[in-house]
Amino acid sequence: MDSNLAIRTRGLTKHYGSQTTAVNNLDLDIEAGQFYGLLGPNGAGKSTTIHMLTTMTSPTSGEAWIDNKQVSANPVAIRTAVGLVFQDSALDRTMSVDENLQFAAAMYNLPPKQANQRIDELLSVFGLQEKRKQKLLALSGGQRRAVDIARGVLHKPKVLFLDEPTIGLDLPNRRAIWRFVEQLRRNEGMTVFLTTHYLEEAEACDHVDFFQKGQLLSGGKPSTLIEQLAEYILEINSPDPQQTIAQLSPIFGTPIQEDQQLSFKIAAHDVDFFQLQKTLGDTISSMQWRRPNLNDVYLWVVCHPSKGNQA
Amino acid sequence: MSWRPVKAVVGREMSKLFRQRARLISSMVRPMIWLLVIGSGVGSMLQGPQQDGYLTFLVPGILAMTLLFASLLSALTLVYDKEFGVMRMMMIAPIAHYWIVISKLIAATLTAMVQAILLLVLLLILGLISVKIAVMLLLPALLTAICCAAIGGLIAVWSKSIDNFAVIMNFFIFPVFFLSGALYPVNQLPAYLHYVVQVNPFSYGVDLLKHAVPNVDTDFSITTDIAVLVGFSTVAILIACWRFSRESVHEPLFHRVTKRP
Repeated sequence: MDSNLAIRTRGLTKHYGSQTTAVNNLDLDIEAGQFYGLLGPNGAGKSTTIHMLTTMTSPTSGEAWIDNKQVSANPVAIRTAVGLVFQDSALDRTMSVDENLQFAAAMYNLPPKQANQRIDELLSVFGLQEKRKQKLLALSGGQRRAVDIARGVLHKPKVLFLDEPTIGLDLPNRRAIWRFVEQLRRNEGMTVFLTTHYLEEAEACDHVDFFQKGQLLSGGKPSTLIEQLAEYILEINSPDPQQTIAQLSPIFGTPIQEDQQLSFKIAAHDVDFFQLQKTLGDTISSMQWRRPNLNDVYLWVVCHPSKGNQA
Repeated sequence: MSWRPVKAVVGREMSKLFRQRARLISSMVRPMIWLLVIGSGVGSMLQGPQQDGYLTFLVPGILAMTLLFASLLSALTLVYDKEFGVMRMMMIAPIAHYWIVISKLIAATLTAMVQAILLLVLLLILGLISVKIAVMLLLPALLTAICCAAIGGLIAVWSKSIDNFAVIMNFFIFPVFFLSGALYPVNQLPAYLHYVVQVNPFSYGVDLLKHAVPNVDTDFSITTDIAVLVGFSTVAILIACWRFSRESVHEPLFHRVTKRP
């Protein structure tokens, strides 16, 4: 087996009861040090995947390896190698930041002196030194999340799993969380396995995979995926969408339609949009073109694969 | 396996116990009400020398009650922690999951002992017991506390959420307490209840406590009491550990997240 793989899975499958298949035959190869993103809608099976990789639940079939150790063979050793930041906080709200982190550090068997040092170090990365003695309840949502992440990396795990780390946070806090994650990656070189449905946040990943109904759909480096998708995305709002489609689809292919909103994928880089605007004239109510992003890749490749393949 | 995680879990419960002083003090109110209100009330219906005897008779009973409530409720923090998500901080730690149960039950036993010692001090101040009896009660109290923690552990690993709390109170704590001989001599109960008392492990804790107080009739021998308490506690803790280590028990805890619309 390739010793450079931080995470490897073969045929990883999880059924809940006889009806629900949360994860179906998943094969992953994630290199050490990578920033990996598993992207997909709610209920796609992302959390279940993480829980199988961190021994919180066992697969119905298939196997996984973390840092070349078989997950099912020695769960305790796997839990030493991984850090997991759950989707909702695992901290005790009635205790202070310090008490929570000291508790978590002791659970990881860190000696008090080492634990104190590590807590100091992490709180300074997150800019929370002054909050150390405060009750968790006195912190903002973003600060609490930061403490949760600090908890997940106290023991310097080889692989850090972040399950929707920015869910429910406002934009400045989301940005702050990403800065922390980036800094942790830089300082400690850990492999990061991220799940999110805020796709734009995954653009910093080295590799992303789209995941739906427990299955991998497609993936790659975000910038390559975006590049491969199109040069531009043209969005048109039209009171008579059918007419606009008839007019434009011979040139640009079938659009994605949401009521009166049409999105076309433009592969050519030399389209004269001003001329197009003139031609369409009063038949449309608005028109804009922009560079594609990961959301577009998701919409075209995952939600509307037939349209994605046409152009 | 290092003891640090165990110490952390126990330490967390202890710091909560001493932080919530109101709870600690209020835990003394219940046995005092039993002793002074019920004890005196029922005692007044008895005749002559039996009156004083009833208060003495109640001492092991209310001590056992304090141990039962404290230990069992503390063991139920296994369910609370699951409900509030904190359990995941322990589940993701690199220790075998049964250590979480063992740590919680050690914490439950210590919590019960702290409250028992507090009660013994109160009883000393009230002049209901002597220092010698208080000391004699400590070891039986410890065995009873472990037994109650084990009962609590069994209930906790089978409870899905704290919504079941009223059910637990009505179906476990009250029957276990009332059908134990803590409030009345077992031999005066009707025959069918006699059997219930005999299968209730808590009865043997109450009985062992009674052995430590002079002039109180007991129902079983000290050897039987100790054998039943140790035997039951060992088996119950093993079952609780086994059950807690089965991940299907925690699936709701994790699955809940993935099922969210």
